[in-house]
Amino acid sequence: MKLSSALHMPVAVVVLALVHGCSSAPSQRQPTPVVEHGRPAAAQHPSIQPQVPVYTSAPGTPAAVATSRQPAAVVALLQQAEQQANGGDLESAAASLERAIRIDPHNPILWYHLATVRLSQGEPSQAEQLANKSNSLAPGNYAQQARNWLLIAQARRQLNDSPGAAVAEQRARELGAR
Amino acid sequence: MVKRRRRGRRKSRRKVVSRRPLWIRISLLLAILLAAYVTYLDFQVRHQFNGKRWSLPARVYARPLELYAGLEMTAEQLATELKALHYRPVVSPREPGQFSRNSNEFHLISRPFDFWDGQDVSANIRMSFSAGKLARLTDAASGKALSLLRLDPVLVGSFYPAHNEDRVLLQLDEVPVSLTDALIVIEDRDFYSHHGVSPAAIMRALYANIRAGSVVQGGSTLTQQLVKNFFLSSERSLTRKLNEAIMSLLLEWHYSKDEILEAYLNEVYLGQDGNRAIHGFGLASYFYFERPLAELGIDQYALLVGMVKGPSYYNPRRHPERAIARRNLVLDVMAKLELITAEESARAKARKLGVSDYQRTAINTFPAFLDLVRRQLQRDYRDEDITSEGLTIFTTLDPQVQWQLQGVLGSRLGSLERDRGLQANTLQGAAVITSVQGGEVLALAGGRDPAFAGFNRALDAHRQVGSLLKPAVYLTALEQPRRYTLATLLDDSPLTFTARNGAVWKPGNYDRKNHGKVPLYLALAHSYNVSTARLGLDLGIESIIKTLRRLGVEQHLNPYPSLVLGAVEMSPLQVTSMYQTFASGGFRTPLRAINAVLAADKTPLQRYPLSVQSAIEPAPDFLINTAMHFVVREGTGSSIYQSLPAAVDVAGKTGTTDDLRDSWFAGFTGDRLGVVWIGRDDNQTTGLTGSTGALRVWRDLFTQFNNSGWVQPAVEGIEYHTVDQKTGLLADASCPDTVQLPFISGSGPVQQAPCVTGKKALPDPVDWFKELFQ
Repeated sequence: MKLSSALHMPVAVVVLALVHGCSSAPSQRQPTPVVEHGRPAAAQHPSIQPQVPVYTSAPGTPAAVATSRQPAAVVALLQQAEQQANGGDLESAAASLERAIRIDPHNPILWYHLATVRLSQGEPSQAEQLANKSNSLAPGNYAQQARNWLLIAQARRQLNDSPGAAVAEQRARELGAR
Repeated sequence: MVKRRRRGRRKSRRKVVSRRPLWIRISLLLAILLAAYVTYLDFQVRHQFNGKRWSLPARVYARPLELYAGLEMTAEQLATELKALHYRPVVSPREPGQFSRNSNEFHLISRPFDFWDGQDVSANIRMSFSAGKLARLTDAASGKALSLLRLDPVLVGSFYPAHNEDRVLLQLDEVPVSLTDALIVIEDRDFYSHHGVSPAAIMRALYANIRAGSVVQGGSTLTQQLVKNFFLSSERSLTRKLNEAIMSLLLEWHYSKDEILEAYLNEVYLGQDGNRAIHGFGLASYFYFERPLAELGIDQYALLVGMVKGPSYYNPRRHPERAIARRNLVLDVMAKLELITAEESARAKARKLGVSDYQRTAINTFPAFLDLVRRQLQRDYRDEDITSEGLTIFTTLDPQVQWQLQGVLGSRLGSLERDRGLQANTLQGAAVITSVQGGEVLALAGGRDPAFAGFNRALDAHRQVGSLLKPAVYLTALEQPRRYTLATLLDDSPLTFTARNGAVWKPGNYDRKNHGKVPLYLALAHSYNVSTARLGLDLGIESIIKTLRRLGVEQHLNPYPSLVLGAVEMSPLQVTSMYQTFASGGFRTPLRAINAVLAADKTPLQRYPLSVQSAIEPAPDFLINTAMHFVVREGTGSSIYQSLPAAVDVAGKTGTTDDLRDSWFAGFTGDRLGVVWIGRDDNQTTGLTGSTGALRVWRDLFTQFNNSGWVQPAVEGIEYHTVDQKTGLLADASCPDTVQLPFISGSGPVQQAPCVTGKKALPDPVDWFKELFQ
């Protein structure tokens, strides 16, 4: 069975991509909306961010949380999924990716890979949805978004939606250029 | 039968007329009848033995625990999980299913297990916990770090066929040889040499019985015992004895000794658990020792073999002294026949019975959750397949969350009754906890008594949802950024609405006041009815129904104005499904209680995969979640932070219905969504609002989770502005009450609020992502 290019990536590349994904994950999160002045709530909650939205990775912020969560388990599952997919066992690959998502549900790379597996399994509609999900978890991560849009283009071609595929490819090109 | 007999008679008459004497004719007739009868029995024996021999109940498992460095779990929680898995604490683990613990350090040998994606082999590992986390996971032999280990899952229940027979099916090669050896020497020494019946054994038994003057010994072979249990009733008659003998011979003729022995090992009756019959050594091992047969010692095999003679007479829980005497007798015989050495026998005899404590295992530990599993299975399987095909069902249940939920629900309902002087045991509750991104049902409570298998309120109590519906109204507004933003002022002045049919509707606020002009996010945070009703009427009931459909609400909805204030009945599970869409970034994620189903031979039958469907654009979903975040920060849900750390971001909504009949809270963090309902079965008032009732249960539960500093993930296409709370217009530092709010890009206010003096200008709105990634 032909697999999408994503799962043919060498393990090292996958791992690098994953680590990159993890290290960029914190910057995808913003401080909570802030209530200012004369609101007792603000005084009680030390987590409330400064008025000017400046991102810092101080202890206790999402950055610290994200890095303290070892990605080793997720990396291992991703490698396992890759082997399973390359060995033609797509259903097990999907199961491994679901295990990884259970551990790290906000990681857009895992959703992207699940999308590639579904596409290889001939489920273009679900593949597109999963790529959308990956996009929603990767704000500002244009490289990941470009990959997702390329996958959406492939999915739409499988569905014989050439205009839709062209739009998706265009999105991928724009994002790739950013 | 009758027909066949007549035909036979006619035939014989024609053939043998007058030539042969009567006795020959009669014996010929008898021979033919016997042959026919034997053929009939032969058909029965082969038909039943070849076909499906047993109805095997479906086994239902919780999610397997994934162990990895960084896992949020305490040493205590792992210990509880291991207890539920019946891992045995030992000084130094040598076999699968054993562990040792030294405060926060564990050494464990896992059991091999057949999962839906293949078999996991046994692993010998060490773990250490610190600060509420699994800090280190290493291979015990090499000392190297292990990235991940999946434990075998906790068995949480079974779906039994109507006659309540239970079994753990074993193949002969899975049964320890010392057990089969012991069984054969005790029950049927000539097993490998006889042809189904053993005249020698019958003579021995006859002799022993005559000497004793009563029946002390049976002469039945294993084959005969199997035939008796397998094909015949338990009546004691000569006919039955004859049938038994013929069928035993037939069985031996058609099948090998190994096949007969394997069937015997799985069929033999070994005890009773309430109305559940314990059949076979596989299940008996779990029933008496709470672990697989392979993990037992020689003394325990001897006990089980000894019990074959009389499972209730030698019941080790009820009659330990009889059981121990019987076990030791078996051990003596084994030593005499040199199956074991004299020392082994002596050592085994010195051991205690080692039978597990409790007598009655609750057949299904979590009946409400299992009810949901069964209903989801019924979509794809016939009922008789669920109870008889030996399916293995892997569910999404997280026993840790389920135990926590059961604990807090019961105790909080009790304390609410005490604090408010309510009659004890009048409040009821239900709750559903799911994983936010995967839509997996982690825990479910169908009532305050977790062991009660009756009315499942989480699934079947359809109650008015009240204000829980409001976020759908506000979302409908926020999806039109040109018309509505979080800062849009809503009109909360008195409202009288006259429908086309002349019906007059005058919604009122809970505090019986009107609040004039209120920013949209605060109207939701304080759950104002009047401004919400006006907003809903502006948007149109039909468009709100469309939004509800997108969110996953499937039941019939009446297009009445009161819908916007929650005049619709939903079950806690249906509410969960709706809030799941908010929580998961606008993606509809079907709630799943099952991950996969395996057939009896462990081949995968079906997977229930993770699937998502985009339902709301990420940006408006972000806005509605922000508004629900304000509910908890400063609105009706703010008492959450009396016990939840301030760093944990929560979005949620309270719900209270007329006369305080229903108290609801639906809320989520980054990982988990929880919906709680409190009410009374007779639908009388509870005296509780959403925040004084259901929210407390939710808070008690989520305080126990390790919600480490999650903040709502951002999305693209959002910009922040600081606005004046009174007017919703742009503010600067000279304004007294400001709030920083997200807007869909380009929809933010452009006009400055009257309070702005221009002295201390605020920076221009920033697109955070451009700034971060450029």
